[in-house]
Amino acid sequence: MKILIVEDEQALNSSIVDYLRQEGYTCESAAEYTAARYKIIDFDYACVVVDITLPGGSGLELVRLLKENSPETGIIIISAKDALGDKINGLEIGADDYLTKPFHLSELNARLKSIIRRRNFSGQKVISFGDLEVIPDSADVRVKGKKVVLTKKEHDLLLYFLSNQKRVVTKESIAEHLWGDHIDGLDSLDFVYTHIKNLRRKLMDAGSTDYIQNVYGLGYKFSDA
Amino acid sequence: MRILTKTSLYYALVSVAVFLVGGILFYTTMREEIYDEVDDQLFTDKENIINYIRVHDRLPNVTSGISEAILVKEANMAAPIMEQLADTLIFSTYDEEYIPYRRLTFTAYQGDKPYEYTILKSLMDFQDLVESTVLAMLWTFVLLLIGLFFVNYLVSRHTWQNFYSTLYKIKRYRLAQQEPLQLSATNIKEFKELNEVITSMTDKIHSDYINLKEFTEDASHEIQTPLAVVKSKIELFMQSDNLTSEQAGMLSDMYGAINRLSRLNKSLILLTRIENREFQVQDEVPLQEVIKEQVSILQEFAAVRNITLQALELEEVYLKMNRGLAEVLVTNLLNNAIKHNHDNGYIRVYLTADKLCVANSGAKLEEVPDYLFRRFKRASAAVESLGIGLALVKKISEVYSFRYEYQFKEEHKLCIHFDSRS
Repeated sequence: MKILIVEDEQALNSSIVDYLRQEGYTCESAAEYTAARYKIIDFDYACVVVDITLPGGSGLELVRLLKENSPETGIIIISAKDALGDKINGLEIGADDYLTKPFHLSELNARLKSIIRRRNFSGQKVISFGDLEVIPDSADVRVKGKKVVLTKKEHDLLLYFLSNQKRVVTKESIAEHLWGDHIDGLDSLDFVYTHIKNLRRKLMDAGSTDYIQNVYGLGYKFSDA
Repeated sequence: MRILTKTSLYYALVSVAVFLVGGILFYTTMREEIYDEVDDQLFTDKENIINYIRVHDRLPNVTSGISEAILVKEANMAAPIMEQLADTLIFSTYDEEYIPYRRLTFTAYQGDKPYEYTILKSLMDFQDLVESTVLAMLWTFVLLLIGLFFVNYLVSRHTWQNFYSTLYKIKRYRLAQQEPLQLSATNIKEFKELNEVITSMTDKIHSDYINLKEFTEDASHEIQTPLAVVKSKIELFMQSDNLTSEQAGMLSDMYGAINRLSRLNKSLILLTRIENREFQVQDEVPLQEVIKEQVSILQEFAAVRNITLQALELEEVYLKMNRGLAEVLVTNLLNNAIKHNHDNGYIRVYLTADKLCVANSGAKLEEVPDYLFRRFKRASAAVESLGIGLALVKKISEVYSFRYEYQFKEEHKLCIHFDSRS
C-alpha cells in the first residue's frame, strides 16, 4: 500500500516515512509543491499526507487535484496552523482528516489506518490480533469468539493500540487521543493508567493473553511477543 | 474640575472683587456728592436766614427754606456756636425708627442778640439711593453670572468640542483594536498640535504593538514545525529495541517536556488568535448544551478524586459567540475548578440568563484574585498546569465584553456576567 508524504520540513518528513515504513507501508515523499503534483498525477496512492504551506504552492491545491484525479485516495492534512478556517476549508474540499503540528506519529498512524480501513473495506474489516477480534466501527470485541463489553473509551483505546501494534505508544498520545484538548492541565496520565488497567482486566477476564506491556515508563506496547 | 468650571470660577471671583471695589467706590463717591449737595443746601438756608435778618432786622419765619426743619433758640451768650456741621439721628415717631439727618448749627445776630439756628436735612433720600444702587449692582452681578454660564456653555460646545472629542476617542482607544486612532480635524492651533502629537504617538505605539504581536504570532507558528520534528524523532527513538532504562528515562523526560512546550505553544496561539478576533461570531450558541457536554466529559476526571460535579441550575441561555470559544471558556472554568479542588469536594455550576457561575470547594487563595487571571500564574506550584486556563477565560470574556468576577465566601465562586453593564 502506497502512501505519499508531502512535507517540506525534511526531518519531519523522514520521521513520518520511517514510522510508516515500519508499519509496512510503501512510502514516498515530496518536499515541495511541484514534485508532489507530478507524483500525484503519475501514481496512485492509498493515502496522501499533505502539509498546507509548501514551497511553490498550497497543499490545499494538491487536495483539490487529488479529489479530481483519484477520488478514492485518502487525504490527511497536517498544518502548523490551528486555524479553524483552514480546517473547515480542507475538509470541505475533500480531505478526510486534519492534524495540527506537532502531532504524535502514533496518532497520525491511527488516523491513517482508520481512513484506509474505511475506504477499502467499508469499515467492516475485522482486525485480528492473537486471541482478539475487533470490528472497529461496530464496537464489537471478541476474545476467542466470546464477546467482551467495553466502554467507549476502552474501545477507542483498544483500537488505538491495534493501529499501533508492537509500537511504543506514549501515555501523552493516548490521553490526547482519548480526550483531545479538553483535559489541558488535568492530570490526564493517571486517567490513562486507569483506563489501561480496566481494559487489561476486562480482556484478561475474558481469557485473553495480556498484550499490554509497560515500556520503562515511556508508555505501552501492544504486543504478543 | 473641568477647565470651564475652573475659568468660570475665576471669572466669578474677579467679578465679585470688581463689584465689591466698584460698589465701595460708587458708595463713597455718591456719599461725597450727596453730602456736598446737602451741605450746599444747608449753607444756602443759612445765607438766606442771615440775609433776611440783616435786611429786615427781625427773625424769619422758621418754616421757610429748602431744609426739612429750621429750629431757632436763644443762644448761650458765653459760648455761641459759630458754625457746626454734623450727622445726627432723630427718632421718627411716624416711621418708628431713627432717621439720619445732616445738621448745621450756627449763630445769627439780630442786633447784638445771638440766636442759635439748627437746620436739619434728612438723609433718607441718600439711603434710598444707596439701597437701590446696591440692588442694581446685585442684579447686574446675577445677570453677569448667567451670561458667564451661557458663554461657557457655548464656548464648550464650540471651541472645546474638538478637545472633548479627542479625549473621548483616546479614552476608548484600545491598542488591541485593529484600526489606528482617528482624530477629527480642528482649526484651533493648540488642539491641532495636541491631535498631531497624540496621533503620531499612538501610531508609533500601535505599529510597535503590531510588530511585537506579529513577531509573537510568527514565532509561535514557526515553533510548531521544529517541535513536530523533535517530537517525532523522540517517538521514533522510543521504538528502538535495546533501550536501557536510563535512556528510556531520559527519552521520557524529553518527551514530557516537548509535550508541555507544544501544549503551551498551542494555548499561546489560541490566546493570540482570540485577541486578534479571528473567531467569527457564529449563531446563538446554546450555552446550557455546551455546559452539559463539558460536564459529562469532565465527570470522569472529577469522579476519580470523588468530586461531585453538578450543574445545579441550567437556564436556556443563547449567546452570540463562537462555539469553539464557548467550549474553551466552559472547559477552562471547569478544569480550573477540578484542579484547585480537594478530594471529596464539589463543583456546582449555575447558569442563569445573565451569568454563569462555577462554585467549588477548595482552600482559600493567598493571592489577589486578579493575579490569577494573568498568564503563567498559578495558585500553587504543586498542581501540574500551564497557568494559562484563566488567562484564556479572561481573554474570551474581554472579546465578548463579559465581566468576570471572583469571590471567596466559604467557597470559590467564579462568575462570568454576560451583560457587562450590570
